[in-house]
Amino acid sequence: MTGNATSAAPSRVSTVSAARASRREGMTAFLFLLPSLVVFLVFVFYPLVQSFSLSVHSNDIIGRPTLFVGLENYVAMLTGPDFRLVLWTTFSFAIITVVPGIGIALGLALLLTARIRGIRFFRTAFALPFAFSVATSAVVFSVLFNSAVGVLNGFLYQLGSAGLNWLTDPGIALISIAIATVWLQLGYDLLVLAAGLGAIPDELYEAARLDGASGWRLARSITLPLLAPQLFFLIVVSTIQSLQNFGQIYILTRGGPSNSTTTLVYSIYSKAFAFGSSDFGFASAEAVVLLLIVLVITTIQFGILERRVFYR
Amino acid sequence: MGVHVRLRRGSGGGRLLALAAAAVLVVAACGSSGGTPSPNASGGAPGPEVLNGAGPVQISFWHAMNGNNGTALQALVDKFNAANQGKIQVVATYQGTYDDTLAKYKAAIQSKQTPSLIQIYDVGTRFMIDSAQTIPMQAFISTDKYDISQLQPNILGYYSIGGSLYSMPFNTSMPILYYNKTAFQKAGLDPTKPPTTLDEIRADAEKLTTKDASGKTTQYGFGAAIYGWFMEQWTAVADQPYCNNGNGRTSKATKVLVNGPEQVQLMTWWAQMVNDGLAVNTGRNTTDAQNAFKAGRVAINIESTGVLGGYQTAAAGKFDVGTGFYPKVQATDAGGPIIGGASLWIDQVNHSAQEQRASWEFVKFLNDPANQAYWHTKTGYFPVSKTALNDPTDQAWVQQHPQFQTAITQLDQTKLDVATQGCLLGVMPQARQNTEIGMEKAILGQATPQAALDAAVAADQPLIDQYNQATGGQ
Repeated sequence: MTGNATSAAPSRVSTVSAARASRREGMTAFLFLLPSLVVFLVFVFYPLVQSFSLSVHSNDIIGRPTLFVGLENYVAMLTGPDFRLVLWTTFSFAIITVVPGIGIALGLALLLTARIRGIRFFRTAFALPFAFSVATSAVVFSVLFNSAVGVLNGFLYQLGSAGLNWLTDPGIALISIAIATVWLQLGYDLLVLAAGLGAIPDELYEAARLDGASGWRLARSITLPLLAPQLFFLIVVSTIQSLQNFGQIYILTRGGPSNSTTTLVYSIYSKAFAFGSSDFGFASAEAVVLLLIVLVITTIQFGILERRVFYR
Repeated sequence: MGVHVRLRRGSGGGRLLALAAAAVLVVAACGSSGGTPSPNASGGAPGPEVLNGAGPVQISFWHAMNGNNGTALQALVDKFNAANQGKIQVVATYQGTYDDTLAKYKAAIQSKQTPSLIQIYDVGTRFMIDSAQTIPMQAFISTDKYDISQLQPNILGYYSIGGSLYSMPFNTSMPILYYNKTAFQKAGLDPTKPPTTLDEIRADAEKLTTKDASGKTTQYGFGAAIYGWFMEQWTAVADQPYCNNGNGRTSKATKVLVNGPEQVQLMTWWAQMVNDGLAVNTGRNTTDAQNAFKAGRVAINIESTGVLGGYQTAAAGKFDVGTGFYPKVQATDAGGPIIGGASLWIDQVNHSAQEQRASWEFVKFLNDPANQAYWHTKTGYFPVSKTALNDPTDQAWVQQHPQFQTAITQLDQTKLDVATQGCLLGVMPQARQNTEIGMEKAILGQATPQAALDAAVAADQPLIDQYNQATGGQ
């Protein structure tokens, strides 16, 4: 989507006499875009079409498409016993990762604007999770969360609590995964927000202070509006990411306990590949639904939020 | 051979893509023996003469053994290659977990890039037969007049249908009961008498469960992973089939039977144990349950024989590890555990007679008593070869690990019948998952044991129906 928007931009030339030149420019632009278009066609659009085709076919036991079954896979999915739970889990997960993730990153970014000694060290330290892979951090978290020998329960024991079954209690497991995800996401969010904060000119604050503004008023009237592009970007990107999260769930809970952490993506995986399953038809139907969900949410976000974003 | 079933092939449709796919499938069907029984399968496997003057034959071998087990396997591969220089070269590749290996194998069938030899877990057996890619071991056994009486009949049982052996068992393990002898002593229990039934486990657990001053449990009487495999074992120990149609051995199974009174009684007991604080629920991850036993936080545990070495290392200097037979739901249960693990399949479709023969040579090599003894003592897997247990190195190992004797006795005492052969079901890996979800629900108290297991069986049904339909019914 965004690719199309940028490719259309160079053709917008105001004078008629420059039409020919602009066509040549368009051609050049197209040539420049060609490599990425080819990559997109081969690795994105072709699989997309294939997924759609798979979703309207049944499979043999090896996963090869056999009969055209129309919307049967979609009907089976929508009327299936788990679908509502899966959707609920997917959306809950998105909310409990995106909101705290950006909130905490914003709080930290504001703290890190303080002019104190060693602030660079803290900036680097807080941004560090960005450098960890999902798999590495998930394995570390699985040790932290372990209810028998984990550090987190160790702290809780010190406080006199009985400890929590972080990954085996169906009421807590999703939150545990969200904690790991927020931590992992934090570094990136922080980098983006810190950069945004750094770009806000000091004069604006000075002027506002001269007018008698301070504290909350400064944050609300200057910091937040000028940080809106970064916040908007993070909200859109993290929402899409949270809807597509897989690694943490795969490593920490495998969708359990009792399916309480089975999001749409994990469900796709388990239908297509896990435990000897190769129901590519059903899994592809789920994948198409996920695509629609992401499209709708992103469109809504653009529709509602982007209007309030002030681009300098 | 009647068990070979033609796969339903694509009918195309209007789309260009679908047509192209169908064309590929038609080509595949023509180019190979596909789903039809090949002449070789009915007894004529390539004989040893095909390797004469064939030069070095390279065979690819996919397996799922990593870490210590992977090293031991590679050592055997190297030994074979050294002994067959210029004739056969085995290239072994680790493909990830059993599930990963199966998923990759399915992709390989689609792209016609299957390995010459592949290790597949026990629950994948029915699928492997239905995929119609392999040549049964029985074909080589007939051609060579190969003597299989030296192999453990209980282990062969799982992979035999109608008296015909489809794949060669390689790494086999069975579940046993582990207990903390030191904890038994402290609790005033006889450390030489492990519990044999669920009731006995509960009685012992009541004495073994200890709490500190603040009321926190420091040691649980019992703890085991919520593992679908255990349910299969309990069902076999109760001498009952896990699925219908003679555990899927007289004809294709159409129904899973894990919601019977025996299984409900088991889950009621388990949920009650957790509810009463006598057992800890460490979830479905087997490592977590193992760690709890190793750390001394659980006194009675059930696990595969494969973890014995790890338990002994972890317990050294802290407590003594004891072993007992897999517990019975009721004292009268007359069956025994199923011998799980994985077996080796020789691919036929798109593989030359030389390759098939070379794979068989390697399979025979692995069955050799001395190599089985090596495999057994390096990994803790049960030897497939009976005579391996008489090997001096093997006997020395068993002497060092007297707990393993429990497994040997348990195997000897298990009668071979339909129940202890285990269930053959195309969607067995998924059925195991569904059972596991049911077990977990019952233990967490989210549903009554009956309702939870009914739900598991209900979840299996569409999968079974779909599979049987795709493979042409019976």
